[in-house]
Amino acid sequence: MHKIKSTNATRLLFFVAIGVFFFLLSNRVDELRVYQGATLAMYVVAISSLILLTGYSGQVSLGHGALMAIGGYAAALSHEHFGAPIWICFGIGVLAAGAAGAILGTAAARLSGPYLAGTTLALAVGLPSIANQFTILGGEQGLLFDVGFPPESLGPDFTQYKWYFWIAGLSALISIWWLQNLLRSRYGRTWRAIRGNEVAAELCGIHIGRSKTLAFTVSSGLAGLAGALLAMTISTVSPSAFPLALSFSLLTGAVLSGVSTLPGVMIGALTLVATPEIADVIANRIAASESVATNLPGILVSALLILVVLLVPNGPVEQWRASRIRKSANTHR
Amino acid sequence: MFGYNRRKLLVASVVLATGGLTLSAIPAQAFSPRMEVGVSSTEIKLGMTLPMTGTASPGYNKIPSAVKAYFDYVNANGGINGRKITLIAKDDQYVPTLAVAKTNELLLRDKVFALLSPLGTANNKAVASSVNPGRRRVPVLFVNTGFSGFANKKAYPTTFTILPSYIVEAKIMAEYIKDTFPDKKIGLLYQDDDFGDDALAGFKQAGLNFAIKVPYASGAQGIAGVPATWIQKLSGAGAEVVVLFGVSSATGAALGTAAVLKYGPKWILGSVGGDATTIKALGVPAGVLYNATGASFLPATSDTTDEYVALFQDINKKYNNNAVFDNNVLVGMNTAFVTAQAIKAAGTNPTRRSLIMAIEKSGAKFASAGLTPLNFSATSHTGYAGYWFGTYGPTGDLKPNGGAYTVYTTDSANGAVVKSTYKRPAMPTKGLPN
Repeated sequence: MHKIKSTNATRLLFFVAIGVFFFLLSNRVDELRVYQGATLAMYVVAISSLILLTGYSGQVSLGHGALMAIGGYAAALSHEHFGAPIWICFGIGVLAAGAAGAILGTAAARLSGPYLAGTTLALAVGLPSIANQFTILGGEQGLLFDVGFPPESLGPDFTQYKWYFWIAGLSALISIWWLQNLLRSRYGRTWRAIRGNEVAAELCGIHIGRSKTLAFTVSSGLAGLAGALLAMTISTVSPSAFPLALSFSLLTGAVLSGVSTLPGVMIGALTLVATPEIADVIANRIAASESVATNLPGILVSALLILVVLLVPNGPVEQWRASRIRKSANTHR
Repeated sequence: MFGYNRRKLLVASVVLATGGLTLSAIPAQAFSPRMEVGVSSTEIKLGMTLPMTGTASPGYNKIPSAVKAYFDYVNANGGINGRKITLIAKDDQYVPTLAVAKTNELLLRDKVFALLSPLGTANNKAVASSVNPGRRRVPVLFVNTGFSGFANKKAYPTTFTILPSYIVEAKIMAEYIKDTFPDKKIGLLYQDDDFGDDALAGFKQAGLNFAIKVPYASGAQGIAGVPATWIQKLSGAGAEVVVLFGVSSATGAALGTAAVLKYGPKWILGSVGGDATTIKALGVPAGVLYNATGASFLPATSDTTDEYVALFQDINKKYNNNAVFDNNVLVGMNTAFVTAQAIKAAGTNPTRRSLIMAIEKSGAKFASAGLTPLNFSATSHTGYAGYWFGTYGPTGDLKPNGGAYTVYTTDSANGAVVKSTYKRPAMPTKGLPN
């Protein structure tokens, strides 16, 4: 077999190809799918930030929903008070969440296991309700974050949701591409070393605390971007948009993706977007009551989480790759 | 990360290509050339989003079945121009994210003709800018919020409000307070957002001075100890009459905490927070409401001498499993009642455009249980604009002061508050659209 070398150029080409493919796809499917595509892209960013943290640097976060909230609010505030263009707003969202992540990461680097999980969980529970204390954050009602209509040059048939999809899709592609490169760099190797064995990594001269904090900061920044994208797709930020359930869904998405495999991120995101749809079909089929229908997506996601942990603990992608490696080892014997 | 080789690339591109073709083959439901979206020869589909589960749902979760009950009654009597009306209600749990997602499903998958009575200021705002029914020319009939902004035809061209705006309510309440309690110290508790800003604008317009104004951030009522600080501020300022202009949970929290702290001013409740069923569902005993002043624009739910209340109670028995007949049921049925007339007025083959034009043209003449006229016209998308005041009985029933409805009306702008001389026309035969 002729191996195509995985260089920066081929990777970039690959991402551009994916981008073109989705761009063409967005012209063919109906509007609901385009909207779901935008949500999917948002989940891709959010889940990849969690994969970076958990899978590559070995830290756990049950509170990524809160970091997304910081990004969303920062973007909305900068849009409302300074009238910043949307790209700048997204940037501010990333920076704000990254800064919060840096502070949190400093504390997190000293914690591990259940303590870290508990701390981040507390953040997810507590942070959104801060919005209820300060009127500048708009209370329960939240703030509007309206990125505006698509530019007129795109034509009259260019829908709002396609615009959201473009923005979210491009953001997702750029972040994943950047993340791929980061994980291949010195930092990525350092994080993996820490995840593998902290003591061994320290003996190699790696500053554990600093590296972990950096991972937390980068991950938070990405979560902030996801938060701003979420805020865009619903045109608003409010505490109720970032419930505890969001943090848990992201974690489920990450596990489904395989916590240490970035390419699997689509699987997790797709599952999270598709679950409510599937639940809806099931609820209609069995003519379930409203309270059953409401809770069904949660039940499905949880059941899936349990099944994945039991059957394919490393995630389907990792499993597939492992079996490939085994197979090729066998054939080369 | 990726081990690239040719075969892999080949497989990947085949998968991508097949996936793309499959996805693109999903039929975008063909728009019928003659019939409007959501209208078939036998059916007209309407969609609604509101909290049916979750903390905000008590009370409101009774609305969909009440609306359906009235539509069932119409359908049993031949429907509207031979078409039956169906309602698809979706639970948004009072979460803007879900409101947007569910509205998308209603419009893009279920293909409803119009949105009916979506609830909540924040949710409606999120839907308005994300889903943007205005741009899609989808009628949003009778939003279930009194935020005056939704009456702005420029910003929300296809939206109609039906509840009197919070500005109207505050203006009328201010006049009532000035007349009834001229020398008392007045206190105000209000929600510090669009909802409360509307109220403040109304009170200011009417020239009512408060001894103390206590704002609360929406949601703060759920934080332990916070309601006690409101009561301390109000009683500290010596307020003898206190206006509660908040949601039910805040109203309930204020009343409950005041009872514990033995602070007993004359309470005046805004319409949003004054629903006894909702307050009871929150665990506050109805007795806490006893003797408080409240306001409404519909007849009292216990007033069986009112022909609308009598009809709706009858429909409630037959089509709604005889649910407890409270203000939510009454509001739901009345909204459905007005909607049925709007659809009828939109012509034999209604379109979204003809529906909007019908309400603009003849909406002011629609029959309804309301004790004030509907103000629909080509320039106005607002519904009712008036209130009567009453007193809560020991079970939480609101009864008009002096035994008869004395209705005051005004507008959301500079208009004066006047005693209404409106005589509600008789109900159409059998309460069906004519």
